[in-house]
Amino acid sequence: MKVVVIGHGMVGSRFVDELVRCDPHAQVTVLGKEHHEPYNRVLLSSVVSGRTEAGSLALPGAPTDRVRVLRGVAASSVDRDAREVVDATGERHPYDRLVLATGSQARVPGIQGIANDRGLLPGVSVLKDLDDAHRIIAGIPKARRAVVLGAGVLGLEVATGLASQGLAVTLVHHHGRLMERQLGDAAAQVTTGSLRKLGVTVITETSVAHALDRRGVLSAVRLTDGTEMLTDMLVMCAGTIPDTALARAAGLPCERGVVVGADLASPADARVFAIGDCAQPPEGGTGLVAQGWEQTTRLVDSWTSAEVAGADAAPAAGDADGLDPTNVVRVKAAGLDVVTMGLSGKFEHGERELRAVRMSDPAIGRFVEVVVSHGLLVGATVVGDKQAASELSAMYTRMLPVPADPAHLIVRPLAGAARPAATAVEDMGDDHTVCQCNSVPKGRIVAALGDGCASVEDVAKATRAGTGCGDCRSVVAALIAASSGAENPGSPSRDDEMSAPALAGA
Amino acid sequence: MSAPTESASPGATAPGDAVATHCPYCALQCAQTLTRTPDGRLPVEVHGRDFPTNRGGLCQKGWTSAEVLRASDRVTTPLIRTADRGFREAEWAEALDLVADRLTALQEAHGRDTVAVFGGGGLTNEKAYALGKFTRTVLRSPYIDYNGRFCMSSAAAASNRAFGMDRGLGFPLADLGGADAVLILGSNMGVTMPPFVQHLAGARERGGLVVVDPRETVTARLASDDQGIHLAPVPGTDMVVLLALTHVVLAEGLADLRYLEERTHGFDAVRRSVASWWPERAETVCGIPADELRRTARLLAAASPAHGGRGAYVLTGRGVEQMTQGTACVTAAINLSLVLGLVGREGSGFGPVTGQGNGQGGREHGQKSDQLPGYRSISDPAARAHVAGVWGVEPESLPGPGVPAVQLLASLGREGGPRALLVHGSNVVVSAPNADAVRASLSRLDLLVVCDMVPSETALLADVILPVTQWAEEDGTMTNLEGRVLRRRKAVDAPGRARSELWILGELARRLGVSEGFPDDPRTVFAELARASAGGVADYSGIDYDRLDAGEQIQWPCPSAAHPGTPRVFLERFPTPDGRARMTPVDHHAPHDDVRADAPTYLVTGRVLQHYQSGAQTRRVPELAAAQPAPFVEVHPLLAERIGLTEGEQAVLTTARGTATATVRLTESVRPDTVFMAFHWAGAGSANRLTNDATDPISGMPEFKVTAVAIAPARVPVEVTAP
Repeated sequence: MKVVVIGHGMVGSRFVDELVRCDPHAQVTVLGKEHHEPYNRVLLSSVVSGRTEAGSLALPGAPTDRVRVLRGVAASSVDRDAREVVDATGERHPYDRLVLATGSQARVPGIQGIANDRGLLPGVSVLKDLDDAHRIIAGIPKARRAVVLGAGVLGLEVATGLASQGLAVTLVHHHGRLMERQLGDAAAQVTTGSLRKLGVTVITETSVAHALDRRGVLSAVRLTDGTEMLTDMLVMCAGTIPDTALARAAGLPCERGVVVGADLASPADARVFAIGDCAQPPEGGTGLVAQGWEQTTRLVDSWTSAEVAGADAAPAAGDADGLDPTNVVRVKAAGLDVVTMGLSGKFEHGERELRAVRMSDPAIGRFVEVVVSHGLLVGATVVGDKQAASELSAMYTRMLPVPADPAHLIVRPLAGAARPAATAVEDMGDDHTVCQCNSVPKGRIVAALGDGCASVEDVAKATRAGTGCGDCRSVVAALIAASSGAENPGSPSRDDEMSAPALAGA
Repeated sequence: MSAPTESASPGATAPGDAVATHCPYCALQCAQTLTRTPDGRLPVEVHGRDFPTNRGGLCQKGWTSAEVLRASDRVTTPLIRTADRGFREAEWAEALDLVADRLTALQEAHGRDTVAVFGGGGLTNEKAYALGKFTRTVLRSPYIDYNGRFCMSSAAAASNRAFGMDRGLGFPLADLGGADAVLILGSNMGVTMPPFVQHLAGARERGGLVVVDPRETVTARLASDDQGIHLAPVPGTDMVVLLALTHVVLAEGLADLRYLEERTHGFDAVRRSVASWWPERAETVCGIPADELRRTARLLAAASPAHGGRGAYVLTGRGVEQMTQGTACVTAAINLSLVLGLVGREGSGFGPVTGQGNGQGGREHGQKSDQLPGYRSISDPAARAHVAGVWGVEPESLPGPGVPAVQLLASLGREGGPRALLVHGSNVVVSAPNADAVRASLSRLDLLVVCDMVPSETALLADVILPVTQWAEEDGTMTNLEGRVLRRRKAVDAPGRARSELWILGELARRLGVSEGFPDDPRTVFAELARASAGGVADYSGIDYDRLDAGEQIQWPCPSAAHPGTPRVFLERFPTPDGRARMTPVDHHAPHDDVRADAPTYLVTGRVLQHYQSGAQTRRVPELAAAQPAPFVEVHPLLAERIGLTEGEQAVLTTARGTATATVRLTESVRPDTVFMAFHWAGAGSANRLTNDATDPISGMPEFKVTAVAIAPARVPVEVTAP
């Protein structure tokens, strides 16, 4: 089977990798317009923030000689009648199946002065590929101020990343609240407060209208409300647009993205599939790589399972309630923990029986909301609570039942619960086990002391306490001290215990 | 009482004499002194003895080990099944004749492959060796495997692939004490081998003990109070933790690039494979905050030699190995160790923590379906020729590889499968996964012969039970978790007619037409084992009883009498063709039997301090049985509240394979999405009736450690569909 994949990004490369692993007969041609090897695009903001080395982004390359990778070669057109893809060099690539993984492009808002005939004004950039990241990083050493346009996930990551490198950062957002698709008012306010502490100034309900230059280099921006501010850098994080140009030109139905069914095939051509950011599946595209990777696995499974491919494809992940386990949005920023999943922000209850429980604690930058339906977690918003965020996302992605009272999801972390502090020897009951290794309760040790034992070694001989791992020897020493009534028992510190001679001769 | 030394003479001793030996239980093989007490209730008194591993310490199992010598139902005479499903006592001659005649008849009717052998990781090196030789040269059947398949097979497969060798810990245990960090994955040695904990003191003092375990175990608690970090991942996702830690080390430029360049092969593919496991993604899968993963990776890197630390160790246990991705999981741990530049360096390292008493030696001398003595491959013509030469047989007469334990047990009594099984040192109906199916397998056999010292649940299903010696009643060698060869020494005679398996195998061999080659003297067997291992990976050829009895501490490989042994392996090179460690990219997949609507909770299994393995020994020790009398299930209070369970109530647990009933213990030390059972009991509360027998594609290790389960109060019946 001849397969052509257009796009060699995170989704395209993984698809190729999984396909040749599962289908020993697949012959694959991949067209990738970037000159780079496939790399982890999700981490570009971490590269900009200096948290991740660019060299660690490379993803697994073409694994076998059954894959032909054309790097730096864009596809020009798709000839569906001939079942061929024509690339920018004019070469034609015949296919039995075509997979579009063209991803998306950064949306460049209409701002006066951001571009000239040579492209974006120096100092102005988007962050969509490795070249963008390198360009931004190159500008950091000589920059003092930065404006980030757009307070979505990427905008927050870039803003905090630049701030962490010492730049004075202003985050400009058109909407009244940050991450308005994911966060409600309270959560957005808490997040704004956290950003402020990280050195990011947030300005909402406005946008950048003009980019002003000085000798051909960005020097300031003017906002739609007329405010002008000096800046050395403008990073536009104003969302993405699915890259549908090839599909449109080939006459495939496209709306926001390339329209595909539950089987990820175009309704107009059963030989053409779309996955990742360029696709518009029935449940809608989220722009999250988790969705693209889930589609990848599902498409490979449906092609390589015994059934006739495409005829009986597995439905999208999730259930009838529209619960999508891949829909977890996580801001990657040092010092800023914002995670949402499923229903979050301002969502419609509709006909569903939903319980939403929230805790708002803005003084310490914490906000947690959980949404529960029929005993399952169907949504959550977590700001400033790492433990709750990780536990809730692990629960959400597995669709695990929630506690009888959903408030328990908020008021205490689910794992690693706080333990009671170590019990003082005076407070231990006689049946309190002092030596776990030998099941020796306090009562037996006290009795041994009553029988004349005077040292840890004596107690060990009489009761075996302390002869296993040795960890309880300090407790035994404290019991001896307590029973002798000494004012300052000189109970051994940990150091003394650890350097104590071997347990031999016990 | 004068402290005995390693040079105490072998053999039964005079009253009052002290004998230096090692504990009958786990792979730590704590040194013990046995003092004969002819007038006592028990024949010996047990004390801890100073030794580099246990430093004199013993746990409750070790202290009470003498009780098993006089277990009230000890098997002291051969027993033969009667028509009314009972047993009758028999003379050895009758029992051995019966077994030999049945084996001969079955092999004549159905071929040599109709007899299979199932060994154990508790057998001495000598017995393990003799059992493999007996299977290959007397029975001439390919079908031998052992319960070590349930123990160390994933760790062994991954170590062999990466390093060309598997010696468990490739360094003396005491080396751990000098490290700044010790990362422990899926091992609860605070409960399973308590004296081990002494070696973690240094790392704890410096805040560097990292324990990865879904439960807050005794071992995990050792990391509390700033002594380290406890990470509690969702069951089955330890792999994700490892991939993310490796990701952070690389992303933050903390790797030991010079080491990777000089000593490894395949780094680039591993680097690319972990690029997809950034901490925030890992967080949604494993449930551990991204920043905790970062902090842990930095702690490990800071401890590594490349960053001027005192060293770091990575240790794995069954928690990460008993998975359908067990080999891959250990490989991920190895990759992390290599990226940090830890392996083959004094003061740092990687190692799996072996579980069973002779789990290490047991996997080196020919009990494994695909191996010959010396850790040789049975498929390697040169290995076959060498071993056949030692055994005095033609290489062509040796059978090829058999099948791993789970497959072997499943094939019993089936079309083309074995019809007779000899079991040595294993209680499979309690310790194997999907235990109900194992019981059914045994019932399909024409002949089941079990060698045991007590009437274990498996022995009670046998056609013939042969009574054997144990621990204080025999001489031999054991190889501990650091590859150190230890002398087990006889202190007392066995009761009744119990005999060593070496003698039994010799008698059976003679009756099956092989009169030479099965001596019952362990020293003689060891000398032959040493010759058979010469030139192999696990080379014992320079070791003999005299050296051990003179007090030498020898860790293999030890290729000549003048060789001092090898405390630390890989210091110069790895025993791979190019001398470099091989790095293999691995990825995560969900458990085979994952949570779903009708089984929405994870079941993890493990151990308690007072019991060992299937409990056949420890359940017979009154003090241990009193401390842990019955099966239990640990449940988080939030889970208990949701499903209406209370402390002390009986809960029914149901998986796609079976049902078990256990007493509820409420505890916050287990995640609310997880319940825990210990697997030491038989009957209605037997955890392995629930566990999954799906296996790792490379090691054959079953997925004991995680399965989806439904749990409910005993009054509410539950049905669970297949995964």
